[in-house]
Amino acid sequence: MHFPGKFPGKGKKVRLSSKEAGTKLRRLAPRSEKSAGSSPGTRRGRLVSAGYLFPSALGVLLFFVLPFMIVIFYSVVDNPISRQFVFLDNFVSVFNNSAFRQAAGNTMTFSLVAVPLAVVLSLMLAMLLESKIPFRSQFRTFFLSPMMVPIASVVLIWQVLFHYNGMMNEVLAFFGRDRVDWLNSSFAQVVIVVLFLWKNLGYNMILFMSALSSIPKDILEVAVLESATPFQIFWHIKLRYMSSTILFVTIMSLINSFKVFREIYLLKGDYPYDTMYMLQHFMNNTFSRLDYQKMSAAAIMMAIVMVLIIGALFLTENYFGKDVEG
Amino acid sequence: MKKNRKLILTAILAVLMTMLWGCGGEGGSQDETDGYVYVPEYVQMDVDCTYINSVTSLGDSVIMNAIKWDEESQESSNFLYRYDLAKGEGETIPLAVGEDDNIGAMTAGADGSLAMVVNSYTYETDENGEPTNYKSSITLWSVSAEDGSIKSQKDINEVFGNSQDGGTYVQNFCVDGQGNFYLDDGNNTIYVLDQDMNKICEIKADNWIRSMAASKEGDVYISTYGENGLEMRKVDIAAKKLGEPQTGLASGYGNQDFITGSTKSFLMDNRSQVSLYDLSTQTEEALFSWLDVDINSDNVSQRGELSDGRVWALTRDYGSEGADGPEFELILLSRKEASQVPQKEKIVYGAMWVDSNVKKAIIDFNKTSDKYRITVKEYGEAVEDYQAAQTQFNADLTTADCPDIIGLNSLDYHLYASKGVLEDLYPYMEKSGINKADYLENILGAYESDGKLYGLIPAFYVSTTMAKASQVGDKTGWTLSEMLEFAEGREENLFAYGSRSSIFYYCIYNNIDEFIDWESGKCFFDSEDFIKTLEFAAKYPEEYDYQADREEGISSRIRSDKVLLLDSSISSVQEFQMLTGMFGEKVSFLGYPNSERKGNLVQATGGCMGLSSKSKHKEGAWEFMQRLLSEEYQDSMLSEHGNSFGFPVKKSALEKQFELDMTPDYFEDEDGNKTENAKTSWGWDDFQMDIMAATQEEVDAVRSLIESAEKVSGSVDEQLVNIITEESEPFFKGQKSAADVAGIIQNRIQIYVNENS
Repeated sequence: MHFPGKFPGKGKKVRLSSKEAGTKLRRLAPRSEKSAGSSPGTRRGRLVSAGYLFPSALGVLLFFVLPFMIVIFYSVVDNPISRQFVFLDNFVSVFNNSAFRQAAGNTMTFSLVAVPLAVVLSLMLAMLLESKIPFRSQFRTFFLSPMMVPIASVVLIWQVLFHYNGMMNEVLAFFGRDRVDWLNSSFAQVVIVVLFLWKNLGYNMILFMSALSSIPKDILEVAVLESATPFQIFWHIKLRYMSSTILFVTIMSLINSFKVFREIYLLKGDYPYDTMYMLQHFMNNTFSRLDYQKMSAAAIMMAIVMVLIIGALFLTENYFGKDVEG
Repeated sequence: MKKNRKLILTAILAVLMTMLWGCGGEGGSQDETDGYVYVPEYVQMDVDCTYINSVTSLGDSVIMNAIKWDEESQESSNFLYRYDLAKGEGETIPLAVGEDDNIGAMTAGADGSLAMVVNSYTYETDENGEPTNYKSSITLWSVSAEDGSIKSQKDINEVFGNSQDGGTYVQNFCVDGQGNFYLDDGNNTIYVLDQDMNKICEIKADNWIRSMAASKEGDVYISTYGENGLEMRKVDIAAKKLGEPQTGLASGYGNQDFITGSTKSFLMDNRSQVSLYDLSTQTEEALFSWLDVDINSDNVSQRGELSDGRVWALTRDYGSEGADGPEFELILLSRKEASQVPQKEKIVYGAMWVDSNVKKAIIDFNKTSDKYRITVKEYGEAVEDYQAAQTQFNADLTTADCPDIIGLNSLDYHLYASKGVLEDLYPYMEKSGINKADYLENILGAYESDGKLYGLIPAFYVSTTMAKASQVGDKTGWTLSEMLEFAEGREENLFAYGSRSSIFYYCIYNNIDEFIDWESGKCFFDSEDFIKTLEFAAKYPEEYDYQADREEGISSRIRSDKVLLLDSSISSVQEFQMLTGMFGEKVSFLGYPNSERKGNLVQATGGCMGLSSKSKHKEGAWEFMQRLLSEEYQDSMLSEHGNSFGFPVKKSALEKQFELDMTPDYFEDEDGNKTENAKTSWGWDDFQMDIMAATQEEVDAVRSLIESAEKVSGSVDEQLVNIITEESEPFFKGQKSAADVAGIIQNRIQIYVNENS
């Protein structure tokens, strides 16, 4: 990820081949035995470096590489017990499973709706709070408060609001409307989107406010002197300078959109109403029923889609933000 | 450098692979503690008695109060039997106990004598020669452990005041290091008497006193159930109150007993594990589990610790109770280095909980097998989060920690079978020469999946629904529609104990195939029948009030048509006789509602187990499992007077049981006339019945009932139960219509079905 002004100009960089780099380091190193022995270029230096790197490397292997390898292994065997190689059968089976399709569809719909809303609304809030309105500080605190509420309390609040006998239905009843079974109908995903936005807007807003404050003031002043309109300033300057932050917020929101499972699980358990059934439900349930092969195949498919989406986001950011990066 | 990198990478991968795959336990005779194991040694006692009443240890001796019943004189004699475990010698000591006296409790005194609480009963005889005007008194004795002579005694009735109506009963009794006597009357009060048997004080406990014992140091402690489980507190006679709870003890509300220790303050026994507790450090040290030393903890009547750290246990085998009374065994448990004990191949029996009959079979197997030793891993034992234990159990099934034999009690064996966790047992039976046709094929079939046998049960009972034939006709089964039609307008007089959840179990959970078609991947929880079931359940209370006074007993209600359907299980011919006797007329066994009218369900009793397909010890595991099908084991379940083991699965054993059930018992009077005697007596609520020898018709009816059972009871996934319970609630509260909640249930369960199709 690139941040404006973080790196020196490209012309200053010197690219050396590894062989040349090694030679240069050896030449630069003092000739005393002791120093030469601990230099990274020497055999001992490499061993010391390897020793320091070993715990981190072990951690990465143990907690990232190995689990992923296990997931890949389980995705190509028939079940965790007999472990017969079946190649892509699990992927075909999972892709044809209607529950998986339902979960993938719901997750995609949710992410497509919730993530842009989370980015746009938080950006709007950040812009609003950046302008000189009264009670700015109080509003900022207000929007951040959902982050401080424990997830179990969030669910409790949401149950009070959207239960069949909850506050929202009381309000509807006041206006003479029929009650809505918010959590057991097609409205369920609306409830989840609102819950997601309530929980995430504050954090995104703070990130955008930080990005806004780091835009060089002289460029903005020049734009004003050049009679640029506020929209032009926003579109041509602010948005471009914030492109890396927008990418970051989008990726974080995308990741958080997958985490909304926690709230749904606490609200409705393993098998919610079908509009709330997410990919994480599918994976959790298949795990508890010892269908590790299904879970692994689903996880890999989801990971591939995630990599493609994030890759696309990086390309977009590179395209829009390249002219503001130092 | 490249070589180094390869070496480092190989080392890392080796560490990771070891961590990933774990290592299965190999060899070993039993679970070791610091390289040591406890080994049982069976002591030969030459005591001739019918019953052992109280037991205590005095130094390295075990002293028993034994009773011998003389059939000829129709009198009992009471004496002491002292066995010196250090010398290996036993001796009988006479004891001057009257015919109307009973030694209620016995413990070792501080001076090497024995302290006894003796209950005496007196009565007068009325004009008809019947006993009347019962009186009881309680006396404290100090008895010489050498010759049984009474050194001193005192009537202590006044000590208790009016604490109990109709005589005092001493629940716990012990003597402290100063020779003071401590008596607990079972009403949360401890009475303390000095050496001269004069009352010092009485101390009240907040809760029921579970046990009381003196520590090695000479102080007396009690255990009660407090807010955080079982608590051990010191009885402080100086302050006349109980001390603060001791720490370092395993928490929970289990059955923890404590006995005076010799090397540490107390020997602790929670009926599973035996440990030592040290008061000075407030720490508990595990010694062994009863199963590891081949002892059935249900049979342990007393235990103690010798000065050299060995542990003794007196067991009473209830299963072997015959004409000569139960079989008592004195077992000495010595600590030995694990390497000194013959090594056997280790087989793990893993289950959420282990049936007591299975435990007994494992102990018998371990005692007799030279090659194999079964250890038990009970995942659900003493855990706070049963769901987490279940998850761990499932996770273990896929790893190297997988048990060799998997206990399937109340688990969905279809799930495990479909995941390849279980072996098909038919090839094993065939290889062992066990003929499938010798067993009840419909019962084996109930545990089949795609023609393969995944669960093995040694015995079973049948769950069914009984109704008067005059009410329902001569039916042997019914569908849910037929059942609901019959119930229409009769809801109040339908079941003996009806509640909403029981209706769900009755109509839905035991009939789940009617609502889920796994082949097509469709479910039918929005069907007319399901909606009708919801409406039917709504006519019942959320929970049945068992405490409510009812004018009539159940039999009377059945006979007067106030209870039309009796949902019950039948595990013996005697139970069948009693249940049909309750109706007083011809009965139809309809079973649970079922679309194929096959609603009589099989329920395993005496364990249900499968063989792990990942096991590295399949041969040994099968050797144990096949024993449960053997003629010897199946015949061991037979009982002349009815039994509680259920019906054996082996046809020949079942026929032998039927023979026994039909064989009359005779009583021969003084003139030599034989009169048929009741085999046993059965009762339920207001109904009592002497069970005579069964008729051929009764046995045939039981046989056809057994033959009609083809499905297993209660294997519905808890997830479905939770969804139905949760979503039907608004209907019962009148907030939603039955059709609305049925639609939501259908929607949620359809995801479950889709996931698993």
